[in-house]
Formats: sequence, structure tokens, C-alpha cells
Amino acid sequence: MTQVQITIEDMAGAPAGKTVKIVHVVGQLDETNVDEEAKNIYQVLEAVPQGLSLIFDFSGLEYMNSKSIGYLTDWYSKISGTGGQVVIAAARDNILDILQVVGLTQLINSYATLEEAKLAVSQ
Amino acid sequence: MEPNLDPNQNPVAPASVPGAAPVPQVVPEPQVEETPEPAPQKPTEIKIVIPTHAYFISGIRDFVVNLTKNLTGFSEQWAYRFQAVVDELCNNAIEHGSRPGEMIHLTLISDKNKSLEVLVEDTGTGKEKHSAAQMQALLNDRKQMMATQQYLGFRGRGLPKIVGEWTDELVFEDAESGGLRVRVKKYLRKEEDKVSSAKTNDPTHLVLK
Repeated sequence: MTQVQITIEDMAGAPAGKTVKIVHVVGQLDETNVDEEAKNIYQVLEAVPQGLSLIFDFSGLEYMNSKSIGYLTDWYSKISGTGGQVVIAAARDNILDILQVVGLTQLINSYATLEEAKLAVSQ
Repeated sequence: MEPNLDPNQNPVAPASVPGAAPVPQVVPEPQVEETPEPAPQKPTEIKIVIPTHAYFISGIRDFVVNLTKNLTGFSEQWAYRFQAVVDELCNNAIEHGSRPGEMIHLTLISDKNKSLEVLVEDTGTGKEKHSAAQMQALLNDRKQMMATQQYLGFRGRGLPKIVGEWTDELVFEDAESGGLRVRVKKYLRKEEDKVSSAKTNDPTHLVLK
């Protein structure tokens, strides 16, 4: 199985009524691991059915395949449907490139740094 | 200084003897060696046989990035793009085309500074056997769907977007073995190397470097 590590933490100082979680992804998301890792994100969605926003910290993400992009799209659809936000922070060029070619950057905003992403979600 | 009388030591200089008539020196015409035209470089062809299991594909991805960076003339950006193209094609073959325990065949053909071609062939024994014509129709449908609306589906981006957008030729062939062979080719155009995703607040914005 390809190495990937996903950790989820609460963002301190989230606006009242909002739950903002930061999802740090380090490694590669591919066919061997994405189904298993995605379960953790769905658990968060179930635990916070309203007012959830997610910041994906992709600074450590080296590769993502089309299936992981499919999951990201699904999380975006579910969270934006409940009034929350999904944003991407600090993605590497090759990750932005693949998100762009599939059209996902038209849906999900991307920020150069985690701080910028936190600021955007807090507004 | 003693004259050099040993013609073997300096075959060009004539031997001279004190008091003897000078020997006319024949200066050979300078020979202009014609520089031969460089022989056209033969494309490098690499064949890899992979068991039908996604476990092996991460190594293939690393190999494709290194090969593209070092042998093809394509930029680093394209190295990562080909990484994704090969990953998608191999995963399709593993998921749909070949039965577990069988093999898929990957061929990379690098014509340096000209093109990179990738062929992935399955055995046609997987859970979803498709003919070349069926795959072409499927691809056309997906391309049309994604061109007309914002696609929010879970699967189906690999071939039309990642493979289709990042290659110049995408051809499905019915292989003699009974499987499906997907052949993609990308031509090197330097101007395309200048386009890069930009880390800005406008995620759809492209910067020409």
C-alpha cells in the first residue's frame, strides 16, 4: 500500500456556529489507499452534519489520482450543500495542475498558504 | 640541437643531412574531414510487464517521472502529467481489463525532444471487457458530458480529462491477444512547457512564465 498519512484537527478560532477542520495530507493518494483513507473524512461529515468547513492542507501531498479527486468532489458537494466550505491550501504545482485539468479548481478555491486558507474560511 | 633523423619519430618532418642538397618538402594538402551528419537517434523503447495489482503502480509512477525528466526532453511539469496519464491507464487496465493474477503490458517509447508514446495493454479477461469501439464511444460520451456541464460525479475523469487533455493522440485498439490496447502520444512543443499552474487566489488563472 502506498504511504499516506491523514491527520485531522480543529481550527482554533473558528467563527461562532462554524466547525472548521484542517485535514493534513502527507504522501500519495492512489488506488491502494484512497478508499480506506476516505472513510475518515466521511466520519467527520457524519459527526458534523451542519456548519462544517474543511481546509485540505496539501503541502505534503505528492500525488493524487482521479479516484481521490472524485472523493474530493463528493465532499465538496456534501459540505457545500449544508452551507459549509471546502478549500485547498498550499498544494504543490503538480497537484494544482491535475485539479485544474479536471475542472475542480473552478469549484474549490485554492490558497497558497494554510494561513490564507484559514483566513478565507473564517470570513 | 641534433636533427631528428629517425623518420619514425616524426614522419611528417623530412630527415636533413648537413651539406646535402635541400630536399624539397612536400606539404600535404590539408585534409578537410567531412563531419558526418549525426545519425537520427533511434527512439528508446521500454517494456514493462506488471502483475494485475495496484500495489505495483506507485513504482511505475516514480519510474515515469524520472524517465520523462531525464530521457525525453519534456519538462518537469510534463513529467508529472505523464505520471498521472500512465497511472490512470494502468489502473483502468487493472480494474477493468485483466483478471487478478494476470499481467498488463506497459510500453514507453521516447523519441527524444520529439514525442513520448505510451501503450497499455490488458488481457481482456477482467470484470469489464470492452472493445476498442466501445471504449471510443464511452470516451466520446464522457467528453461531451463534461464539456457541457460542471461534472460532479464520483468517477470517470481519468480518461477524458487527465489522459485526453494531456495527450495529442488517444487511440483504442483491439489487441491480437484478445485484450484492449490503449495508445497515447504526446508531441513535445516548447511553448506548452511555459504554461504552469499558478498559486494565486484565482485558482483558474494561468501564468505564462
